[in-house]
Amino acid sequence: MFKLFTNMMKEEWRVHSTMFGSLSFALFPVMIFGIAFMGSFLLPLFRAVVPPGYLAIIIHAMFLLLGIMVGGFGLLGMEVMNRRFGQASLLSYSARSLPISEQEIFCTFVVKDTVYYMILWVLPVVAGFALASPFIAVPPYLPLLLLLTLTLAFLTGLALIFFLSTVYSRSKQVLGVLLIIMAIGWAAFSLYTGIGPAALFPPLQLFYTFSWPTLLVACAVVIIPSAIAVLLFTSECADATKRFKNALVPLTKKLSFFPYPPLAAKDLIDLLRSGSFIGQTLFSFLIPLGLLWFLLSVLARFLPPGDILLLFAILTGVIASTMYTWLTMFDSFSSYTCLPVSVPSLLKSKMCSFAVLQMIPAALIVFVSLASGGAVFLAPALVLCLSVSFYALAVTVWLTGLSPSVLVYDARVLLTYLLAVGVALVVLIMLAFVNPFYAILSALLFLPAWLLVKVSYAKWDMQDQPWF
Amino acid sequence: MSFMEMKQGIIVTQGLMKQFGDVVAVNNVSVSIGQGELFGLLGPNGSGKTTMIKMLTGQIRPTSGSATVLGLDVKKDPIGVRERVGIIPEQETPPSFLSATEYLDFVGEVRHIPDVQKLADWWFDFLDFGDKRDVLCKDLSRGTRQKLMFTQAFIHKPTLALIDEPLINFDPIMQRKVKDYLTEYVKRGNTIFISTHILEIAEEICSGFAILHKGKLLYTGTVAELKERDQHLDDFFLSLVEKDGHV
Repeated sequence: MFKLFTNMMKEEWRVHSTMFGSLSFALFPVMIFGIAFMGSFLLPLFRAVVPPGYLAIIIHAMFLLLGIMVGGFGLLGMEVMNRRFGQASLLSYSARSLPISEQEIFCTFVVKDTVYYMILWVLPVVAGFALASPFIAVPPYLPLLLLLTLTLAFLTGLALIFFLSTVYSRSKQVLGVLLIIMAIGWAAFSLYTGIGPAALFPPLQLFYTFSWPTLLVACAVVIIPSAIAVLLFTSECADATKRFKNALVPLTKKLSFFPYPPLAAKDLIDLLRSGSFIGQTLFSFLIPLGLLWFLLSVLARFLPPGDILLLFAILTGVIASTMYTWLTMFDSFSSYTCLPVSVPSLLKSKMCSFAVLQMIPAALIVFVSLASGGAVFLAPALVLCLSVSFYALAVTVWLTGLSPSVLVYDARVLLTYLLAVGVALVVLIMLAFVNPFYAILSALLFLPAWLLVKVSYAKWDMQDQPWF
Repeated sequence: MSFMEMKQGIIVTQGLMKQFGDVVAVNNVSVSIGQGELFGLLGPNGSGKTTMIKMLTGQIRPTSGSATVLGLDVKKDPIGVRERVGIIPEQETPPSFLSATEYLDFVGEVRHIPDVQKLADWWFDFLDFGDKRDVLCKDLSRGTRQKLMFTQAFIHKPTLALIDEPLINFDPIMQRKVKDYLTEYVKRGNTIFISTHILEIAEEICSGFAILHKGKLLYTGTVAELKERDQHLDDFFLSLVEKDGHV
């Protein structure tokens, strides 16, 4: 088991380092450490405007989401890897050829994911915070407590997604019923007791007030779903081979106004059949944004409503730009190498599909503007959201071409992205805070975005496509 | 086909080279393949065969040297090359979430093939996988995916097809069928370029062949010449690569 674990760790490292070089990937945790260290110095400033406790919610929620995302990727791994590496196989699938049980492999896989992503994300964040803590008057025990609670938050996300996906592989219906029961139970508890959802999250409770029983509960929330997942695990999906009616031809006709209708139709089919459309909309868009809105609404006491709405629009724009990865995640350029399709054509087609997907953030901004009584700021909020989204998309395309979800782990790429997008965001936030209607000026971002896209066409056309 | 294409050869390379970092995958290869040939590029694993096919089909750019395919420069017009040829890559990679029939429709749309459904039906029948037409590509067996890739390569009736390991996933019955098809195909004036390390296939169906080892071209000639010398391709191949230091 230990040998399998060490080999899986090596394999995970090599998958990443093969994609963008050992040094670039080795620098990734160093960069996270640097960001956490420097970010810690902003905490005194935040504490002045944000009520105590809310920052703790933000960071624990982020690590919960990180766990969910890492677990989700791990379990979608086979499909993603097949798309990216062709016939590559991973040790996770070695039950087919080695005398190791599926349960043992899955168990080792869970442990590997936990350790690997702890080293990649959790430890650098805590180390950065710990190093900065003497300078920002933070009690010395706090980094240690944070290490414990962030680890538990991350593991809770991981355990939850492993559990749900194992149920999914057994029966979609059971998963549906389970989710409905969980949602109703959660809502009923909150309504009945008047206690917010955060109170149900043991790692956060542990952070607020350490006690051994809470620690026990937090560990149980991780261990019980993980154990059930390992016991229930099966590599055979409930509905492995389905038959589908031809959807490509009618869709191609309907999308005839696109520059490349068959490519757009394929993108749409990929999104729907991979489950990405609903899954990503929920887990990568609506839930994080719901959380963001909840957190921003805390600032209502300190900022005018218009500013909060515009801040939300900016953040929605950034998150909406990641919809580009929805379109590329299950697509590999190797599928097109036997066809007369150029890289710029593919980029153009995916950006058109992306433009259609922007109806989702646009609808969300309209809804939030109206629901929050900020209808007067609807126009600047909408322009701001879409401008940021398209600009961030252009930066993503320029930096990562057709492989955003892979190349983003390259420290240089991520740093350039953060700088290119971050500077624009700071300027826009300042403008919006001076006068909400100045936010309309964000439409100017379409110009650098257009130029970046033009440069990207030439850049990615000249390069051999990486064979992920 | 233009007079120039016939005169110059369907595939012509001059000093073609591809380097990945410090590794020279293909080193100074010059070959000329004429119309109507079923040409086999032979070599052990890792000899540069797949890299050669990728360069000839404009999937990757040569580091130096030149290559023309059907009179088109692969560096300047890779899309033009892919428009006119049929390609079967080494690893069968049809899109996961399209069904077999949707994939062929997709190919038809991209290649602007009229009546693609009719042509697809013929191929489903010929390669005996019509029962899988509505199954997603990700759920197809390797053999069926290879049939699908074979179909997409020939469905637009190209005058040249480049195939990497053409029979690797087929059962003996399908191998026979495909070999017969390829032989008939070149008889109609088309050209086929295959890369393989299975020498029996090359000896059975190829007219001309080249041997690639560690990226270098060791030999080009015809199977007929070997037969005249009463030599078997596998003996000849082994003696050449051993002489070149193959362990």
